[in-house]
Amino acid sequence: MIEVKNLLKIFEGRGQVVRAVDDVSTQVAKGEVVVVIGPSGSGKSTFLRCLNGLEEFDDGQVIIDGIDIASSATNLNAVRREVGMVFQHFNLFPHKTVLENVTLAQRVVRKRKAAEAKDKAMALLTKVGIAEKANEYPSRLSGGQQQRVAIARALAMDPKVMLFDEPTSALDPEMVGEVLDVMKQLAREGMTMAVVTHEMGFAREVAQRVLFMDVGKVLEDAPPAEFFTAPKEPRAQAFLKQVL
Amino acid sequence: MSLKRRSAQWPWHGLLVVILLGLAIGLWMATKQVNYEWRWERVPQYFAYHDEVAQTAPFTGRIVKVHPDGAYSQVEMIPDAGGSRAIITVETDTLRVADGAQVTEDQEIGVTRHWRVGPLTEGLWVTIWISFASGFIGLIIGLVTGLCRISKNPALRGLAVLYIELIRGTPLLVQIFIFYFFIGTVLNLDRTVAGIGALSLFVGAYTAEIIRAGIQSIPKGQTEAARSLGMSTAETMIHIVLPQAFKRVLPPLAGQFISLIKDSSLVSVIAITDLTKSGREIITSSFATFEIWFTVALLYLLITSVLSQLLFWLERRFARSD
Ligand SMILES: Nc1ncnc2c1ncn2[C@@H]1O[C@H](COP(=O)(O)OP(=O)(O)O)[C@@H](O)[C@H]1O
Ligand SMILES: [Mg+2]
Repeated sequence: MIEVKNLLKIFEGRGQVVRAVDDVSTQVAKGEVVVVIGPSGSGKSTFLRCLNGLEEFDDGQVIIDGIDIASSATNLNAVRREVGMVFQHFNLFPHKTVLENVTLAQRVVRKRKAAEAKDKAMALLTKVGIAEKANEYPSRLSGGQQQRVAIARALAMDPKVMLFDEPTSALDPEMVGEVLDVMKQLAREGMTMAVVTHEMGFAREVAQRVLFMDVGKVLEDAPPAEFFTAPKEPRAQAFLKQVL
Repeated sequence: MSLKRRSAQWPWHGLLVVILLGLAIGLWMATKQVNYEWRWERVPQYFAYHDEVAQTAPFTGRIVKVHPDGAYSQVEMIPDAGGSRAIITVETDTLRVADGAQVTEDQEIGVTRHWRVGPLTEGLWVTIWISFASGFIGLIIGLVTGLCRISKNPALRGLAVLYIELIRGTPLLVQIFIFYFFIGTVLNLDRTVAGIGALSLFVGAYTAEIIRAGIQSIPKGQTEAARSLGMSTAETMIHIVLPQAFKRVLPPLAGQFISLIKDSSLVSVIAITDLTKSGREIITSSFATFEIWFTVALLYLLITSVLSQLLFWLERRFARSD
């Protein structure tokens, strides 16, 4: 479903050159859940953002469902419809109600009728357990509720792939569970997912593979059982010692 | 909070009243010094006045009969030379003729009175509509320029920067002269069009900067969320960025518009009869210099404070989603 070949992303600025993603190749099969972990600044977010073209990468290829997203013949907006993204800081639209947050892109991008979009939105809000807040503005919701709305908003586009960038890092501890539960349910339903997270429990329980990143490189790619019990890389070992 | 604060506050309110009274007395004394005679009673006629139009006999002839009809009277007359009768309507209290009287052509029979709009009202209207027209055009110029200013295209960005810097770096009065005498002459523009054009370009530049700042104040995450849902750049602007930016730029934009109303007084230099020019013209005939300038100032204050109130109301309405 996702194929990455020799991906390279360089940030230049203030005389510094940062190879944020340095020659990464990997793939995610249909229905697979891949968790990306690694220390802060290791390039996890940048890697994820290259997958839907939010970052323009410098070299390499990203192929989503058979479509090369960097090809000049590709309509990037059409690709992004198929790739949902959930951000660390939710990024809900504050001037729209919860319901409007979930219906807007359906109407604008998918050109669905108002009634159809609303039905879809209500079904998804019910699924993430927040239907009763449909007419509230996001500022009236807790972090966990906002993140669940953000997931519903992404799902409303019927994506083939979902990308999560530290979806629980900005949440108070008591709200982490409610968001992870929604994500686990999605995984059970067969959604293809790439998840950057520090929630090792989630990785162990849901992921088929764990990618460990450091200084822009994927240093280890292993099933969670293997990765958490016997990491091969010294840096992965050091990292796990710190977080576990 | 309550008792302590209040007892500590009232001497200051008292002081405020004393200072204001002092200022008023000082002003009054100052005008006494220069022997200025206040003639406030002359001011109202410049807002609206009762115009008298003389009604005259259309021919030499005889009054057949005066038909009184309340405030008005119909005067029926017949020409000496023969022919059809005429009926003339005048105000009863100004009637100068009686039944059977002989009148010559063009002799006054009486008058009719009409309310007429005075020069102050006309000037006020010109100021209001010139300000609104240039405010509206300026807003569109500002929106387009603001978007060009943050565009990725160097040509658009360069043009926007050049325009903004040119306008912000030169005085409005000079811009009005250039627009009127140079562009106005070349394109053969009417003075009002030239005035509105100069003002529009002027507010456009400031509005562009306000809009640019407003757009850039919207967090990047908003754009990224919209783009990740598959929205195009334009759709993201229209549905996500501009509505949020608009709410933030409303106060500075309104401030700019209020400034524009005051700045519009400068178009009086190219002989557009706005509120300021009307004031100057009235003074040459009324000699009520102080009264007219105070009245003109009050009228500007009236428009600007009405707008401030309107803005306050708008801001409260937009605060819904906070
Ligand atoms: N917009 C940017 N401009 C310059 N450098 C950036 C930018 N975004 C990220 N970086 C740099 O790229 C590296 C990887 O960042 P990021 O992908 O955010 O790491 P992570 O998500 O793993 O914490 C860091 O060194 C960071 O400073
Ligand atoms: Mg990150």
